[in-house]
Amino acid sequence: MRVRMIDVRKSFGQNEVVKNLSLDIADGEFLVLLGESGCGKTTALRMVAGLETVSGGTIEIGDQDVTNVLPKYRNVAMVFQSYALYPHMTVAKNIGYPLKLRGTPAAELDAAVRAAAEKVHLEDLLHRYPRQLSGGQRQRVALARAMVRTPSAFLMDEPLSNLDAKLRIAMRVELKRLQSELGVTTIYVTHDQVEAMTLAHRVAVMDEGVLQQVAPPKEIYDDPANLFVARFIGAPAMNIVRGAVENGSFAVPDGSVPLGNVAPRGDIYLGFRPEDATLAPADEAMLRARIYSTEMTGNETIVTCEMNGEHVVVRADKDYEGALDAAVGIDLDPGKARLFDCDSGRRIRR
Amino acid sequence: MNIPERTLLRRLFLPYDITSMAPATKVLVYTLLVLWLLVVLFPLYWLFITSFKLPVQVNDGPDFIPFIDFKPSMHAWHYILFELGNDTLRPYINSVIVAFCATVVCVLIGSFAAYALVRIQYRVKIGNVLAFLALLGLTVFTVTSLGAPLFAAAPVAIILFVFFVAAVGRYFRRALGNDDILFWIISNRILPPVVVVLPVYLMFQRIGLLDTHIALIATYTAVNLPIVVWLMRDFFAGIPLDLEESAQIDGASRLRIFFTIVLPLARPGLAATSLLILILAWNEYLLALFISTADAQTMPMLVAAQNATRGPQWWYMSVLIVIMIAPIVLTAFLLQRHIARGLLVGAIKG
Repeated sequence: MRVRMIDVRKSFGQNEVVKNLSLDIADGEFLVLLGESGCGKTTALRMVAGLETVSGGTIEIGDQDVTNVLPKYRNVAMVFQSYALYPHMTVAKNIGYPLKLRGTPAAELDAAVRAAAEKVHLEDLLHRYPRQLSGGQRQRVALARAMVRTPSAFLMDEPLSNLDAKLRIAMRVELKRLQSELGVTTIYVTHDQVEAMTLAHRVAVMDEGVLQQVAPPKEIYDDPANLFVARFIGAPAMNIVRGAVENGSFAVPDGSVPLGNVAPRGDIYLGFRPEDATLAPADEAMLRARIYSTEMTGNETIVTCEMNGEHVVVRADKDYEGALDAAVGIDLDPGKARLFDCDSGRRIRR
Repeated sequence: MNIPERTLLRRLFLPYDITSMAPATKVLVYTLLVLWLLVVLFPLYWLFITSFKLPVQVNDGPDFIPFIDFKPSMHAWHYILFELGNDTLRPYINSVIVAFCATVVCVLIGSFAAYALVRIQYRVKIGNVLAFLALLGLTVFTVTSLGAPLFAAAPVAIILFVFFVAAVGRYFRRALGNDDILFWIISNRILPPVVVVLPVYLMFQRIGLLDTHIALIATYTAVNLPIVVWLMRDFFAGIPLDLEESAQIDGASRLRIFFTIVLPLARPGLAATSLLILILAWNEYLLALFISTADAQTMPMLVAAQNATRGPQWWYMSVLIVIMIAPIVLTAFLLQRHIARGLLVGAIKG
């Protein structure tokens, strides 16, 4: 079902943790709320679930205003970071609990539990207790419990963050597949930008309670709305260089980048992604720098350069070899460079 | 490195490895344990053999070993079980009914209170408390001194209080929190029971409940409630909030969550607390002395009665105490397997 948050606010005492959040999540959409811890993303999710009261604004699920409706009547399903399995119930009882509360007949309940368990490959573990399961299995029980009924929305609060790296990637793939099969609207909270980029139809980036940008992953990556989003998304992060625009090019003491038709401006940030830059001989390139360190990751070499006291990261071929402190030049694709206002951090569009 | 050579002396005083005790320590520890075991078990042994002694053996004693020091006799057992017969059985049944009912009621009500104090933040306005006390005083004054009928004065006072709270209450700033409520609850137990024994006696006399099971059950419930609240509070606080929130989203009501999630998970606490309250109610003497006279008389009364006009009848007392210990030992045995740790394993995290 469609989920809408209209001007939603939340304060704890004097501390406003969610500020005028408006989101319109389409039926079947996978929306990821992304931000650092304490940015208000979990509070926003809990307000949709009904676990947190709303200080202002409206929340709608489907066509109904649920702002002041108890969680049990919202028919949402939630997966907690801690999984929150009932330790005194078997896996089957855990999965069947939401149906049992709805008075589902035993035969129907058993069939639904079995079907949900099969979706997450748990059918052989139904008689076990949570304490007898591994972390990954517990996680799948939590998912099955959410999927056993047809909820109006899935709410997931960092569901993968307690798994080890390998399992996390495997579950990510499963989760994406399951969501598109079931077609249930999903709101997913995470601080992991890779999870956000890989899972989401749209990513909503939050910072200090304020929504920064909502857009499909590709757009978030290529076209960040402000400095925060630009810095937050991407690993290694986008390079941000401070300089000035003069005569249609971005100028720093160690070189310049031709930008074309841009109004002159004294103080400005130029951002470019490490893969949009290339290393070149020092005397021919747009920018001059020194090599600070090189890291070979297997498929590429990440070269960190020092330019005027700031670090600039460039992705190079895996065979690249450069001596420390050697002078090096950096060329970049001016079309892919982004400009930001120094004071507000807002994007300056060309 | 300077590893000392393992001489004989060092072998005696140094542990063999980090998981074991040094031989000398071991001897010391087990000696102390055996001594303590004797301190604990000897009174029980003495009680048991005394129940098989004749008065002359008790008075001439001390005799320690049956069949060698003295010839066991069944006379005391015969007197208590057959000659007294129903006069033993009635207090015994009374004790069972009163102690078990009081325990169940007390633990149930106390758990409700403890759970509420863990999960709900109360703010009791001091102004409202003072207003309540003032109206209470006024009511007592009008009823006792001015001769107003209680059935008229009490409702008027209650209505006045409700109006006061609705009209003025919200302007009060200073409030008491959960910790203050908890302290007030435990302070009820700090008061020595002897202080309240006369008012309690008069109260039950007035409402015609003296010497009934209900009076004893109600009194024991009230007296032991603070202990239940304090003990259960810690057990409830240990249950992750995620579990309850998850149940809420799955569609459970507060009451349902309490009975199907919270109480089963607090089982070790329930068992330990129940056992403690049972023992307290089972052994209670002072209040029973006032409230029960004949029909509702409990076992401690009967034991004490053996030290009446004829001087202490140690042999009869011993028999009574031996049969009195039995139900508690049995209950403790049944409950101890529930007093296990690790129930929450598997609830959260991987």
